[in-house]
Amino acid sequence: MYQYDAIDREFLTDRANEFRHQVARRLSGELTEDQFKPLRLMNGLYLQLHAYMLRVAIPYGTLNPRQLRRLAWIARTYDKGYGHFTTRTNLQFHWIKLKDAPDILDALAEVDLHAIQTSGNCIRNTTADPRAGATAEEIDDPRVWAEAIRQWSTLHPEFSFLPRKFKIAITAAAKDRTAAKLHDIGLMLRRSRDGALGFEVIVGGGMGRTPHVGPTIKEHLPVGRLLSYLEAVLRVYNRHGRRDNIYKARIKILVAALGAEEFGRQVEEEWAKIDAAQVDLPDVELARIRGFFAPPAFDVLPRVSAAFEEAKSKDADFARFARNNVQPHKQAGYAIVDVSLKRPGDTPGDATAEQMEVVADLAERYGFGDIRITHEQNLVLPHIRLDDLPVVHAALQAAGLATANINLVSDIIACPGLDYCALANARAIPIAQSIAERFAEPDRAEAVGELKIKISGCINACGHHHVGHIGILGVDKKGEEFYQLTLGGSGAEDAEVGKMLGPALPAGRVAEAVDQLVEVYLRERQEGERFLDTFRRAGVAPFKEAVYAEAD
Amino acid sequence: MKALTANRLIDGEVVFWSQGRWVEHFGDAELFDAEAPAEAAATGAKAQPNVVIDPYLIDIEQGEAGPAPISYRERLRALGPSNTPQHGKQAEGGAEVAAILAAHGAARSSGRVNLIKRK
Ligand code: SF4
Repeated sequence: MYQYDAIDREFLTDRANEFRHQVARRLSGELTEDQFKPLRLMNGLYLQLHAYMLRVAIPYGTLNPRQLRRLAWIARTYDKGYGHFTTRTNLQFHWIKLKDAPDILDALAEVDLHAIQTSGNCIRNTTADPRAGATAEEIDDPRVWAEAIRQWSTLHPEFSFLPRKFKIAITAAAKDRTAAKLHDIGLMLRRSRDGALGFEVIVGGGMGRTPHVGPTIKEHLPVGRLLSYLEAVLRVYNRHGRRDNIYKARIKILVAALGAEEFGRQVEEEWAKIDAAQVDLPDVELARIRGFFAPPAFDVLPRVSAAFEEAKSKDADFARFARNNVQPHKQAGYAIVDVSLKRPGDTPGDATAEQMEVVADLAERYGFGDIRITHEQNLVLPHIRLDDLPVVHAALQAAGLATANINLVSDIIACPGLDYCALANARAIPIAQSIAERFAEPDRAEAVGELKIKISGCINACGHHHVGHIGILGVDKKGEEFYQLTLGGSGAEDAEVGKMLGPALPAGRVAEAVDQLVEVYLRERQEGERFLDTFRRAGVAPFKEAVYAEAD
Repeated sequence: MKALTANRLIDGEVVFWSQGRWVEHFGDAELFDAEAPAEAAATGAKAQPNVVIDPYLIDIEQGEAGPAPISYRERLRALGPSNTPQHGKQAEGGAEVAAILAAHGAARSSGRVNLIKRK
């Protein structure tokens, strides 16, 4: 992974120090809350319902064991022994005291972590394919470009006060695991017919109050021109974005208002004015960054592992884990392991300090020290030898981390919702728990197959409900928690915004309704169809009828 | 009935107003039957910007088991997150927690409405 140099480290120490003084001035009354709030937000510190929340940036969802252990230590020392991984592949601590925040930033800085640009109207953490560098599906390593974007966008003076927050995703595989089309900018690495590497640039996707699947404004941007082109997009947005209305300030509104073609034209015009040599990455710098992502020293191994095959035939739990949580690796004899943070009954995305330490140890012993966070709130050990899978599985199992449910009905995304978030209408976590428990029987969950349920506690859509195969949105009906269901959304390469099923349901009805939807699918599905495919073919009517029949 | 609540600056803790000082438990909160003293307390609280953040009044209902906030959000603030009963004030149990857990009232939270307005 990328390594900070002395200047980066010095900067982080200075920045933590600066915040220490700002906190002291706030506590002494020298700074008012109005003066201090933007300063704390610039350091990822929010005030929520029960305490402060600190959002730690995990650049493109990549951590090393030392960093994960430090996060565990912070969880234990300053929080209540756990952390929450988010759909932005960051980590949130939910029980932070303002007086401890400077010490925490120091502790983070010691392992090259921080909370800068995890809040505010700036360019946020880039989402990248969690299988980067491990999957045979990719045509280049997206982390190289995500790191270039990180360096370019960090403290970029021109883009520190945008009309609204700004999120970029990047993938180099045909199968999109980043929700690229739902980001302010989605970058999909492609090869042109003559073999040249370029980005398909998608602009103006987003969720929230007005969900949009982003249109493509450039089919093939030569990779070397990435940063100047991004700069041109940001400039057009910075100039014309609606600063007068927070609900219309995201780039998706501007792109929709101008039309993709006109927006693209303005970007080209701006791009032509930029002195590219000043902005685009020189080849030597690109090569330097690329060097940090060189493949680890894989052993030369046979394609088939006797230990792996034997464990599968002897241990049904392991076989299930192998079916659902183990993915092919580009290197023979290795596998990508998905670590589920969705054990039925648990809070989606939460990991205890002990669990973080187990994953850090496994990554160190068996996985070249590489850990990834997915936007679906799970972890990934990207490089595990097939031979080691049985022992890795046993260790995960002992830590409650071996739930074999990746992409299944109980692998639910849920935002913190009203249990923590000051903006929430309704709770999300208990709804996720009630659904996961209903489908806790693993044979049934497997029989249902891929089904992505995503839950948000309000229209801000941190839980990506718009793009759930089943999306669930918490609404406030005269002070009571109700849930609006949508069907047919997708955040993948076939991105689509879900369609409303019918009137919102009370909390107690949601898990049952999901069950009814699943029954319709099982009844209607044709050979090889996922829930999403059946919905797309059969339409909303049979599903609607099943959920609302009794009410009529 | 009303109570006055806020988050404490130094640690973010949920606090309630009681006779001129801030207390951590809803059970210790001062309950106002009349508008005027409630508003007076809120004004007093706003004059302490270095102790608490964004104080606001919440509606309270006298239930069978005791008083509790009418808004669900405010009950969660008084208790702690519902997914982790071992965290927050609910972990301490007792009559005050039982009363809040038993409450069923529903109303928009003034705290959230204020927050959205400010955004
Ligand atoms: S979707 Fe709403 S409730 Fe959920 S975390 Fe985001 S802002 Fe909070």
